[in-house]
Amino acid sequence: MDDTTFSYPPIDPTTFDLIVVGTGLPESILAAAASSTGKTVLHLDPNPYYGSHFSSLPLSDLPSFLLSHSQPAAVSLPTDLTTFSQSDADDSTTASQSDLVTVDLTTRPVYSDVEISSHSAELLELSRKFNLDLTGPRVLFCADSAVDLMLKSGANQYVEFKNVDGTFLCSGDGKLSSVPDSRSAIFKDSSLGLAEKNRLGSFFKLVEGHLKEVGSDGGSRRISEEDLERPFVEFLDKMRLPVKIKSIIIYAIAMADYDQDKLEGCKNVLKTREGINRLALYHSSVGRFHNALGALIYPIYGQGELSQAFCRRAAVKGCLYVLRMPVKALLIDKESGSCKGAKVASGQHLFSNEMVLGPSFMIPWPLANSLPDFLQAKLEDIGRDVRGKVARGICITNSSLKTDVSTCLVVYPPKSLYTEQVTSIRVLQIGSSLAVCPSGMFVVYLSTFCDDAIQGKKSLHAAINTIFSVATSETRENSSYEKSEDGEVKPNLLWSALYIQELSMGSFDPFCFTHMPDGSLNYNDLVDSTKEVFQKMFPQEEFFPETTFSQLDDDGELGPSPSDDSLDS
Amino acid sequence: MATTGQNTLNAKLVLLGDMGAGKSSLVLRFVKGQFHEFQESTIGAAFFSQTLAVNDATVKFEIWDTAGQERYHSLAPMYYRGAAAAIIVYDITSTDSFARAKKWVQELQKQGNPNMVMALAGNKADLADKRVVPVEEARAYAEENGLFFIETSAKTAANVNEIFYEIAKRLPRAQPAQNPAGMVLVDRQTEGSRAASCCA
Repeated sequence: MDDTTFSYPPIDPTTFDLIVVGTGLPESILAAAASSTGKTVLHLDPNPYYGSHFSSLPLSDLPSFLLSHSQPAAVSLPTDLTTFSQSDADDSTTASQSDLVTVDLTTRPVYSDVEISSHSAELLELSRKFNLDLTGPRVLFCADSAVDLMLKSGANQYVEFKNVDGTFLCSGDGKLSSVPDSRSAIFKDSSLGLAEKNRLGSFFKLVEGHLKEVGSDGGSRRISEEDLERPFVEFLDKMRLPVKIKSIIIYAIAMADYDQDKLEGCKNVLKTREGINRLALYHSSVGRFHNALGALIYPIYGQGELSQAFCRRAAVKGCLYVLRMPVKALLIDKESGSCKGAKVASGQHLFSNEMVLGPSFMIPWPLANSLPDFLQAKLEDIGRDVRGKVARGICITNSSLKTDVSTCLVVYPPKSLYTEQVTSIRVLQIGSSLAVCPSGMFVVYLSTFCDDAIQGKKSLHAAINTIFSVATSETRENSSYEKSEDGEVKPNLLWSALYIQELSMGSFDPFCFTHMPDGSLNYNDLVDSTKEVFQKMFPQEEFFPETTFSQLDDDGELGPSPSDDSLDS
Repeated sequence: MATTGQNTLNAKLVLLGDMGAGKSSLVLRFVKGQFHEFQESTIGAAFFSQTLAVNDATVKFEIWDTAGQERYHSLAPMYYRGAAAAIIVYDITSTDSFARAKKWVQELQKQGNPNMVMALAGNKADLADKRVVPVEEARAYAEENGLFFIETSAKTAANVNEIFYEIAKRLPRAQPAQNPAGMVLVDRQTEGSRAASCCA
């Protein structure tokens, strides 16, 4: 155990409305949301840094984080088997709290098949200049629910963003086509004929007409229910859109994860309704912020900043923060089976009626102590709903995969890399201007859904071999001049980490566990599910009551943002 | 990071030090001219801003408060990032708080921004009869570590404006931006215009 654990003053007070363990994005949002409604919140994390499975880590810390979470936690010493009595509880506890039993808490593996390769010895010396996302590739759409939430909560004040300069789709011939960020860009595209452009024009008119009338009573311009329930790909076929445009819409704007051309056996058929919603999200993202060009933005210093921003927001609202403080056991009510508190590494008992645990925590089974039967049954029942896996890769290189572009998204749709490729592979390159790596270098994130590690790794390797020149002595003779399909010199791969991450959903009963990062490109689904958790936990409370900047100004608590005086560029 | 506008220098300033050393009191005295004998632990403030005119420029301080996250040593890297200046505050009536101040100096040195202007403030100078940290000791420490040192009293306002003024004078005027600034998201509906403001 870490010495620093014991240099802390005891946590005071000892009773809270909510205790949150882990500082991943969902946990941090929940802490901020609860604090904003005036709840007393204690936020703990066993690590010395913020972010848990959503953090951005220095180069040398990333492999150890992945490895430590890819095996079961070391068996801990058996904790006290007895229920603790009033005497060893804190003075402030009431008599009812002596009806609590301790149940050990440990961690379970959420990553597997971690594969680290280093082709450059000097990189480690620059370790602290890297902020590598565990959740990559990840961006925010300017109009998505994470951006809305940052604005609503006030967390937006602490993070600065930059644009993703462009999105590209790789076609079957290996060429990268640029994804248009406006209607006029489409009409300028010389590869499309006039008839195709006209069809596209009427398609956009149809979608716009539909979106205008959704939610209103009018209905003449709405797309029929029948069409909305159809696969999006069929709807696009019906609109007779050119193949290239269809592919761009499905994979690089609506971000479909699986092959939509082979509908039988497709794991996730994108319906027209959802497809149109995603098109609308993209459309409203472009131009939402007048000096953000394009639809996508990325936080300076990496995605881990978002957790920190919500934690700071929570702290400003009174949430108490204690890092480096592992939770050893939960305190469970013998009668009801509900969680009433936690025993932390310092030995202190802390109490609260609500408890949120990060996704990698678990109760080791079988239990070390014998509990009433109903409680045994209840705890045995805690299963985590695991919905497949995502294969992720983090690569470091010293030249851009697309000349003149520093930060970009490249989508390799199904079948674009090899014939059996059934999932879309998304690749996000982030340049040093976002402070995630030393200048002159680039961090490239890859991800794809997979059934198992073999399939996932095959996809990642196919993409990596296409994008990079990999310095392996056996296979390549003169890798430094290797060229890609469009004649650009391939960047050298300096370092890579590939891993398979479990996609576990959150659960609520009897304890609240939050989500692992999902396989999406943005945080939309994650924000929605986090909001649901909050509403279940505090049904009377609003999820971030509206506060406006002017209100804060009246209180004199918040000066104008530093950038107010330079709004328009 | 200090960024230069036309004649305005925007500078993020952070305060560090023990609970109760008087970080918030110093800021409140500087920004609002107020002092509360029993200032509560910091809740509710995100940051303050205050503009100072020095000889050749206007310095707009964006002052970040710890929001209590220092209590269990849980400040986020976000707090230090891009700070152009830091004031490390201790209480002249507490040797513990002086020892902790030295720890915060080390912490800042680890963050590694060589251009950061650091000031050491021996606060509660009005409580001279309870003094346990000698001026000479603190001054010697500050000199060794390249800090600017001054004793302050948020209660009497002694040296409070002076410390901020001195920092403003010492800020490098043409500091090359380490990372070009990005945009802060601002909502049109609450701010009059939904615009991402660019603070370049």
